[in-house]
Amino acid sequence: MSVTQPVGGGLGAFDAHDPPSMDGLRACVHCGICLPQCPTYRVLGEEMDSPRGRIYLMRAAAEDRIGLTPTMARHLDLCLGCRACETACPSGVPFGQLLEATRGQFERRGVTAPTRDSATLRFILEVFPHPARLGPMLHALRMYQWTGMQAMVRGLGLLAPFAKLRAMEALLPPVPLPGAPLPELIPARGPRRGRAGLLLGCAQRFFYPDVNRDTARLLAAAGYDVVAPRAQECCGALHLHAGRVDEFRAMARRLMPAFADVDVIVVNAAGCGSALKEYGHWLPGDAARLFAERVRDVSEVLTGSDLPLRAMPQTVSYHDACHLAHGQKIRAEPRELLRRIPGLTLVDLPDSELCCGSAGVYNLLEPEMAGELGRRKAARIRETGARVITAGNPGCLMQIHQHCREAGLDVEVVHPVTLLARALEER
Amino acid sequence: MAVSAGAVHEALADIAGREHCLREAPALARYAIDGMMPSLVVRPATADEVSRVVALCAAERLALAPRGAGTSIGLGNPPRRLDVVLDLGRMHAVREYVPEDMVATVEAGATLDALAAHFAPHRQALTLDPPGGGTRSVGGVLATHASGPLRFRYGTGRDLLLGARFVQADGTLTWGGAKVVKSVTGYDVPKLLVGSLGTLGVLVEVTLRLHPMPPASRNWRLGFPSREAAAVFLAGLLDSPLQPDRAALLDAAGLARAGLAVDAIGLLLSIGSAPEAVEHQGRALARLAAGHGGRSEEVPDAAWAGLGPTVDGPLLLRVTGEPRRLLDWVGEAHAAAARAGVEVMVLAQPGHGVLQLSVGEGFDAARVVTHLVRPLRSALEAEGGSLVVERAPAELKARCDVWGAIQPDILAIMERIKTEFDPAGVLNPGRFVGGL
Amino acid sequence: MPLTPQLRRALEDIVGPAGLVVSAEGRLTYECDMHTFYKGTPDAVVLPESAAQVAAIVRLCRREHVPIVPRGSGTGLIGGAMAPEGGVMVSMTRMNRVVELDFPNRCATVQPGLINLWLSQATRDRGYFFAPDPSSQMVSSIGGNASTNAGGPHCLKYGITVNHVLGLEVVTGAGELVQLGGKTHERPGYDLTGVMVGAEGTLGLITGVIVRLTHLPEGVKTILASFSSIEDASEAVSAIIRAGIIPAALEMLDEVVIRAIEEGVGAGYPKGAGAVLLIELDGPIAEIEAQSGPIETICRDHLALEIRVAQSEAERALLWKGRKEAAGVFGRLTPNWLLQDAVVPRSKLPQIMKEVAAIGARHRLVIANVFHAGDGNLHPLICYDDRAPGELERAKQANEELLAACLALGGSVTGEHGVGLDKRASLPMQFADADLSFMARLRRVFDPDSIMNPGKLLPSHPACGEGFRPAARPLPAGTWI
Repeated sequence: MSVTQPVGGGLGAFDAHDPPSMDGLRACVHCGICLPQCPTYRVLGEEMDSPRGRIYLMRAAAEDRIGLTPTMARHLDLCLGCRACETACPSGVPFGQLLEATRGQFERRGVTAPTRDSATLRFILEVFPHPARLGPMLHALRMYQWTGMQAMVRGLGLLAPFAKLRAMEALLPPVPLPGAPLPELIPARGPRRGRAGLLLGCAQRFFYPDVNRDTARLLAAAGYDVVAPRAQECCGALHLHAGRVDEFRAMARRLMPAFADVDVIVVNAAGCGSALKEYGHWLPGDAARLFAERVRDVSEVLTGSDLPLRAMPQTVSYHDACHLAHGQKIRAEPRELLRRIPGLTLVDLPDSELCCGSAGVYNLLEPEMAGELGRRKAARIRETGARVITAGNPGCLMQIHQHCREAGLDVEVVHPVTLLARALEER
Repeated sequence: MAVSAGAVHEALADIAGREHCLREAPALARYAIDGMMPSLVVRPATADEVSRVVALCAAERLALAPRGAGTSIGLGNPPRRLDVVLDLGRMHAVREYVPEDMVATVEAGATLDALAAHFAPHRQALTLDPPGGGTRSVGGVLATHASGPLRFRYGTGRDLLLGARFVQADGTLTWGGAKVVKSVTGYDVPKLLVGSLGTLGVLVEVTLRLHPMPPASRNWRLGFPSREAAAVFLAGLLDSPLQPDRAALLDAAGLARAGLAVDAIGLLLSIGSAPEAVEHQGRALARLAAGHGGRSEEVPDAAWAGLGPTVDGPLLLRVTGEPRRLLDWVGEAHAAAARAGVEVMVLAQPGHGVLQLSVGEGFDAARVVTHLVRPLRSALEAEGGSLVVERAPAELKARCDVWGAIQPDILAIMERIKTEFDPAGVLNPGRFVGGL
Repeated sequence: MPLTPQLRRALEDIVGPAGLVVSAEGRLTYECDMHTFYKGTPDAVVLPESAAQVAAIVRLCRREHVPIVPRGSGTGLIGGAMAPEGGVMVSMTRMNRVVELDFPNRCATVQPGLINLWLSQATRDRGYFFAPDPSSQMVSSIGGNASTNAGGPHCLKYGITVNHVLGLEVVTGAGELVQLGGKTHERPGYDLTGVMVGAEGTLGLITGVIVRLTHLPEGVKTILASFSSIEDASEAVSAIIRAGIIPAALEMLDEVVIRAIEEGVGAGYPKGAGAVLLIELDGPIAEIEAQSGPIETICRDHLALEIRVAQSEAERALLWKGRKEAAGVFGRLTPNWLLQDAVVPRSKLPQIMKEVAAIGARHRLVIANVFHAGDGNLHPLICYDDRAPGELERAKQANEELLAACLALGGSVTGEHGVGLDKRASLPMQFADADLSFMARLRRVFDPDSIMNPGKLLPSHPACGEGFRPAARPLPAGTWI
């Protein structure tokens, strides 16, 4: 089904409800500098699966040259939303926002690609952002792993005929025991600098609770009272990136009050941090803008303080999570922090800024493309000879862990705060 | 000839003037090509006259050979037919020269020496220096793709020819290329003409890129005890940031003929730059040579003039192989020469894999073809290289193809080009590759 | 011309379904390259992965009398990589590997879709680079560079692409897969490689390239000299060349461009300068040191406001980043622009810059200037807004006048971007009928059925019965007349 009639006040084939910005679309001069930075273009080499091509389609729709079609939806679905193109673009085209707005239009008007796995997407959006639902599901999965069922299923290749299911299963890291929940307040050690609110995240709190605990420890050591509000739910990133802009706004509005009385909102998941920093763009009014201005990635906060770190000699490499490097322009801080650990050798990862294929839940929806990117990432990691690879996002950690494992690479895949916390000298 | 030679002579005299049309035997003698005498020689003064001469030849179905100074007139197969020689010696003017643009447009008959004298007062040069070629015409140098030690830094005519005015086989005066150093307007027709032996058109005017003469220039002769040592040194030199302008490589016989100190292999290099830079690089060069078992000494500029005699023998072969294999081919050439029972000397272009093998007097043509030319050529062609007989007596040319084999599919395209632009075979018929 | 089912099947047989794009949406994204002014949608796009596939495609299209348009990264500026007559667009982007690096022979064999900069990155550690550095090099392909004989800032010293191509594997318009040239530096016969470079896909499709690798210079010195006026800067350029110094690169930018770059990528250019010269010296360190003094003196003699030398590799890279992305940042300054590429003899540089300013004033349009001053290659950028009535017309008029002015000074209608569709009609300003006819006949030798990139490079001459008008395509069976 293709939709072509413009609604009054709309933009060509787009209607008036959050259309992509025409100024943003016109900023593109078609130079193509984004092409080599785009993961899907690197894999496919086709113009319509490049940022330039995707913008061209959006602009064609905005100029009424084409309607919103399932084929166009397919090319948008394939986009990882990694925003490497924004980093490369000399003209400042806001690709991420154009993509999200366009996806929103497709969502609301019910135009989907035939390849879209709507069932999986629906499942993800209804379970992942809701801790009350995600928790029990993961408990079941933990049983699946502990009872040896996973080993058997994997060993016998039982899921081979079910591509999507197999992809999801392969991605699953060992689900940890929940352990004790973080206390709502962890006091600062030493002179107090402020009050930091910790975003627990959805994937992070279940798959990598240690990362949250380590983040809290480091923040406390850096002089922050750490608040982990129980009332927080999801930041809405998954919904935003999927184009469910209205639902995203609702979740944002529910989240913001939980962090009303903190000086800084600290995030250790790149995807969440990027979405939070955009609250001001998507929600009207000062409240959202002021909220967004208080958001920091954990690496930004920690570079401002002087943590006592013990020597930890090892060779480590660092992968740039898309929503940290491209979404938030944070590249130097995590590296700088790792270099502060005495004895640690940080080796360059070639193509560190090229998406690993996780891209939120992309690897569950587009396993083929995600798999290719994951394999390429593992190959690059192999070339570095590092035994530890770090990344500031839970999705990246899962994806890289899976593909290193499948490539037979013996590397530890951890969040940078994990290494910092290990090195932290506590009196 | 369809029409009598007398009638043609009259027509040519109308175009170029009686005193510039020759038909008497004594005068024609020096215009013979591979023992073949033309019936007529004409010496036009302008591009328009050239155009009319060629048009006349085309109309009368005559075969024409263009000629500059005549130095390399022997390059190529013996002519299938030869009626008229077109001598461009009277067309030697510099038409345009803007020193600030470092571009000059000159008539094709201008000699390299004359051009050098013209540009030197502005401290510029046309960087084409085939050894002993000062008296050669620039048109001839381009048509035969001749080159010399300056190739090391500045390339060949292929890289220096920007634009060309030429006369097609039907007499049409045509222009290709541009008059500025950067232009990508249509096909690079000058590229097609360089090295084409005049078989697609007669060059009448060429626009050339010039280069500034460096503030200081000094020369070094390096000597090595063996080919192996020289090869390793050469690899090191090419892998270094040193920027010599001129480079020539000689074997012992070549060094002797050039009047230079003799080693198994010698290199003659010049470096041109600001004086401090020349000094600095010269020292680096000496160090590099010493590190590979070589010796070095500075030599005066006149040393380069000594190269001419190394390539003026009666039999000259041009070997082209992969650059890294240069010294190997020197060895192969020596071995083949020994089998053929001849003395040879080598002058090579390091970094380009090209060497000229000069065979002295008193060789047996059959033996040379069987034991030197054919086997060496086969070995080269097996690796994508070539062996061209640049100069040889007629009896040797009768025994072997001058150019060597061209891949059939490539030759087919070249034939189509020749057929398109010279279907009647007016220009140098039979002399080029594949008998084109 | 819509794709017939048989042709579609035949193409699919060659490249597989994953190598064929037929959707309207997909083909739409291939309707233009960077010069969005010229649009032409192909009937199909194929993405071959081998020379054999390319040969099969060409032979098929020749049999079916279907036009072929080759495309690399689609960053050309002349309306080259678009299909005004429909047909099959052959995208070389999947053939993008380095096939072999041969350092002893100082050459590399690459596939045409390989991005220019990636080759230099692959050879850097070994001390070599691929010298042609068009501003698009981070995305343009080597096949595309060869096809248009691309230049770049460093071609002043190092030459243009044709000076760095030793061999080409091509599929001619007749469908022959041939290897032109090779690793050896010369060979008997016509220089077919030299003719194929810059032929813009009209003689054949490039499926492989053997390129020269150049040794990295021992040292590099990048100098930024700012002047209060373009005139002063132009005079300084002339003086530098007159002094016999050939820098590796000599670029000029005017204040409009400087402002755009600073807003876009931020490169530390001084605000308020009327023009800056970006001068790069490279080579033996002793030589650079000996040349930089005289250059600074010349700049000062021509009233330089400030002279800055990049102190670190990072600073140097930033100065260049601004220059290389200049075209891209224009999205920030103006809704639309016409980028011109023309050449004048170096000695005429001051004159043409005055002309450019006069033309801009006459048509009440801002004309920004970024270009390769060292070889007289200008890139005036005519800014306009297509929503403002009449501005497009004035821009086109200014464009015409600019080209005419360059030619009047003895220049050329294109320095490095090529002809494509954009300059086709201008070629008669520079070539006589006999010259164009020669080129047309050469084209037919390689492309007897006129399927290779029709409508590009050479003008069609309405009056001429033969000469350079391509042969007419036979009408499909059953056409009603």
